[in-house]
Amino acid sequence: MFFGTAGGLGNWALCYLRGWKAHARAGSWSLPQVSSDMAEFEAITSLEAEAAGKVAASGSIKELDDLDVEFLGRKGKVTLLLRSISEQPADQRPAFGGRVNLAKNNIAAMIVDRRESLGTGESKARLVAEAIDVTMPGRFYDVGRPHVLVETMAQIKRIFIGLGYEIVESPEIEEYRYNFEALNYPEEHPAMDEQMSFYITDKNLLRTQTTAVQKRIMDQRKPPLRICTLGKCFRYEAVDATHGHTFHQVDCFAVDEHITMADLKGTLAQFCHEMFGPDTRVRFRPDFFPFVEPGVEIAASIGGGRWLELGGAGMIHPNVLAACGIDSNKYSGFAFGLGIDRTPMIKHGIDDLRLFMENDLRFLRQF
Amino acid sequence: MRVPVEWISEYVDIQAPIDELADLLTMAGLEVEEIQAISPDDLARSGGVPDSRDARVMLTKVTPNRGDWLSMIGVAREIAANTGWKFKLPEPQVEGAGADVAGQIKISIADPDLCNRYVGMVIRGVQIKESPTWLKNRLVMAGMRPINNIVDITNYVMLELGQPLHAFDYDLVQGHEIIVRRAKEGEKITSIDQAERELRPDTLVIADAGRAVAIAGVMGGFESEVTHTTTNILLESANFDAVSIRRTSKVLGLVTESSYRFERGVDPEIAALAAPRAAELMAELAGGEIASGMVDVYPGKKEPKKIVVRPERVDALLGEHIDPAAAVSHLIALQIPAEFLDGKIVATAPSFRSDIAIEVDIIEEIARIHGYENILETLPSFPLQGKDSDAGLFVEELRQAMMAAGMQEVLTHSVVDPVSVELSGYGEKILPLKNPLSEDVSRMRPMLAPNLLQVITRNQAVGAKDISIFEIGKVYRRTDTGGIYEYRSAAGAMVGSQWASAWSINRDTLAADFFLTKGALIGALTRIGVKNITVEPAEHPLLHPTRSARVLVDGEEIGILGEASPEAREKLDLRGRPCVFEFDVEKLMGLVPVTVGYKQLPRFPAIHRHIGVVLKRDLPYVDVLGNIRQSGGEIIEGVELLDVYTGSQVGADEKSFTLSLVFRSPERTLTDDEVNGVLESVKTRLASTFEASFRG
Repeated sequence: MFFGTAGGLGNWALCYLRGWKAHARAGSWSLPQVSSDMAEFEAITSLEAEAAGKVAASGSIKELDDLDVEFLGRKGKVTLLLRSISEQPADQRPAFGGRVNLAKNNIAAMIVDRRESLGTGESKARLVAEAIDVTMPGRFYDVGRPHVLVETMAQIKRIFIGLGYEIVESPEIEEYRYNFEALNYPEEHPAMDEQMSFYITDKNLLRTQTTAVQKRIMDQRKPPLRICTLGKCFRYEAVDATHGHTFHQVDCFAVDEHITMADLKGTLAQFCHEMFGPDTRVRFRPDFFPFVEPGVEIAASIGGGRWLELGGAGMIHPNVLAACGIDSNKYSGFAFGLGIDRTPMIKHGIDDLRLFMENDLRFLRQF
Repeated sequence: MRVPVEWISEYVDIQAPIDELADLLTMAGLEVEEIQAISPDDLARSGGVPDSRDARVMLTKVTPNRGDWLSMIGVAREIAANTGWKFKLPEPQVEGAGADVAGQIKISIADPDLCNRYVGMVIRGVQIKESPTWLKNRLVMAGMRPINNIVDITNYVMLELGQPLHAFDYDLVQGHEIIVRRAKEGEKITSIDQAERELRPDTLVIADAGRAVAIAGVMGGFESEVTHTTTNILLESANFDAVSIRRTSKVLGLVTESSYRFERGVDPEIAALAAPRAAELMAELAGGEIASGMVDVYPGKKEPKKIVVRPERVDALLGEHIDPAAAVSHLIALQIPAEFLDGKIVATAPSFRSDIAIEVDIIEEIARIHGYENILETLPSFPLQGKDSDAGLFVEELRQAMMAAGMQEVLTHSVVDPVSVELSGYGEKILPLKNPLSEDVSRMRPMLAPNLLQVITRNQAVGAKDISIFEIGKVYRRTDTGGIYEYRSAAGAMVGSQWASAWSINRDTLAADFFLTKGALIGALTRIGVKNITVEPAEHPLLHPTRSARVLVDGEEIGILGEASPEAREKLDLRGRPCVFEFDVEKLMGLVPVTVGYKQLPRFPAIHRHIGVVLKRDLPYVDVLGNIRQSGGEIIEGVELLDVYTGSQVGADEKSFTLSLVFRSPERTLTDDEVNGVLESVKTRLASTFEASFRG
């Protein structure tokens, strides 16, 4: 090792370097004073001055590379100066060596710094040349979007799952007995006029209401129950802007001890808050559905004093519970069925129901 | 029903503006859809005579359980119950001046299961003429056309009291005898609309000594109807079975004011009020003389039903406490007799409320008058975990994956037209509707793909070129054993470029073809964790015979993939060459691994080699791939197809694949020599198996 205390000196040199850089930043290329305990050597000082001058004058990375070789290379000026150590008086040789080494660090630092500032300038020019017009359109592969009505159904599902409902599957081609008989429709009752059906066979029809799920579940399972199903329903009706032969419903029912009409109202209020906003109010109006008693029509306030009719609801009729082997003296339940199609119509101001299933991409891509 | 305000004012003392009254009725369950003001012109046009009376009419929508709301007194009664305003029923003053009616008509009910009651009266010496203005106007506002005073009175009393009436010409009733019976086999009647109708044996008729003179509860007969020469009237005020009337009405395709009311239940007690009420008006407006008394055959008389209501049940069902005394007063307001006895409410179902039979029916009435707006909002207190169905969860994931693969979701009809259905090739397995709305809406879809192709057609018709869509939904078929089968299917369809924007790049380089469609399908399936997907050539009626395939997972077929057949393109008027896929979602659900194993990341570098291999053109890529994997052994990590070439550089029956092979060992860094050795053996094997040669 050339310096017995290389570590210490290294640290010292680092401090020096920092000081120098501080000056450079302040706009001065002059070297800081060497601390007084270090002897001055004319040759070293002038070499440093020469290097400083040349580095400052250099205009390109290439020139700097050359200066690097000129001063710090294997046959460079600093190396040569160090070799002249033998010409120094013996007692000054350690100091001389230390000073040359410091000069070497100083010059290296100057070159690094200059390289940095030169480089920035050079790459700036290159970056300017690489400029693009960021306002031009992005190139992109079309993204798929959800269908607005299917997405509404997904949202409804999330709300009811959040309220503790289990989503179940139920067939669209339904049996007459589940769609009507089990729901307390008397034979040949005028209530059937509102449920004109498409038949596949005498016993099988396209469900007119998702309520058909009730007996399917209650035959298999016993209270407590909180069940939800949703999907397509079909009625024999001519198609216009607000009616179709196909529409979408969600049906929920809850059966347990102590289920009340207040629970029904609270549940629907909660749903409406989630779906239409926290200020939405729910209105019950007496209505008739054979499978509930009392039966009500549900409406939600949708601003401007208007009410959106959501569907029907009520307390499950004792006949329906009895047909499923559930004791209506011990258990009670509520049920409601909501039309889904009108929800996005209200939310987005859509004026024609037919748009949902015409699948014009210009419509679908708006959501 | 049309309810003239001026008319109901006769039965209830209305003390509020009409729009408030309408709101009140609506909130009580009798929805007032509209309040119409009838102009003098409209009144005159329909046979009325404009006068100074209130010409406003409430249009109500009556629920099927409330037949009692199909009369003026029914509406008035509801108003009175909700307001406490005074209600009064008409009290006919009948002076039976003539001889006792009993000697003048004979009435018998042969089929009492279909006729609860038959009341007959005779009015002699009437003069047939126009009705007075007030009567005509009330009928017109209620939606009926004035005919003559006798017919008008029967209609008027029906609207007033809800009891359908019929007036026969007494002298045309053979034997002055009425027999209520089922029709005889092959029996015919000409109804007052002059149509000859053949009657079914289950149809109830009103017959005289010789023939049917009316279709009971539906329409009178032409041969015994009241004409301008009629002088004596036989008045019928009867009560018929609701189901029987509904059947007859449906079979004959005849819905009348009378049948509409009987279907919904008519108060059997009102018959004996309606007859004298009509007789009174006939005496007054037609100058008739009423024969003393009435013939009243009443086989269906029932004792009023007592219903016991537990107050705690009222509270338990409604979710709040209702004072039993208040409940009793609500019921009494509705003219439902009730009292609070030994801790129970005992109510009597009135004859005009055929909808009230059990405890909950009474609870509903209590709740209605209590007001639903007063019901609290609470939530069920029992804790249950909400969750989606397994199918629902799977479909939601699949849906997201399809969208991520660039496809727009659509929603199409389940009931479709025959053309698209026939393309699916399901033939006898297609389920037709028994009663379609029209041919266009007549078949259950056995597949989704034809629907998607139709969506493409419709969008192409409005100028769309680049379309990529999918649907997940039910499809329906007949099973081999003739049963009905429905399951969830998923399908996608693509045509045109899939780049929404790609300036300076040829968008057509990514136009949808078989392979892009396959890529989207495999991409979506892989995203949801499906493994071991294979695609092999297979024909399908919807698809191009040499550009179609079936898709298998773990060797089990789940669906199809291919270009739409030329026939489908022509029949559905498609532009370009759309490609489709469809698979059975429920089958796939069972094939997706539940848990995904983790594979360690590679620790050693890979080595890449390209080869150009010339092969027979009909040799499937998958065979080449298998061959390479087999001869390359464990260190083949992957094979990627970079290019396929056919043309002058290779033979006419040849093609060239450019492949990129990736080699990697899990245990060490491979050497060039090692890889070169394996590559040579791969080539040798390809050459010996397929007579392959190599380029480059």
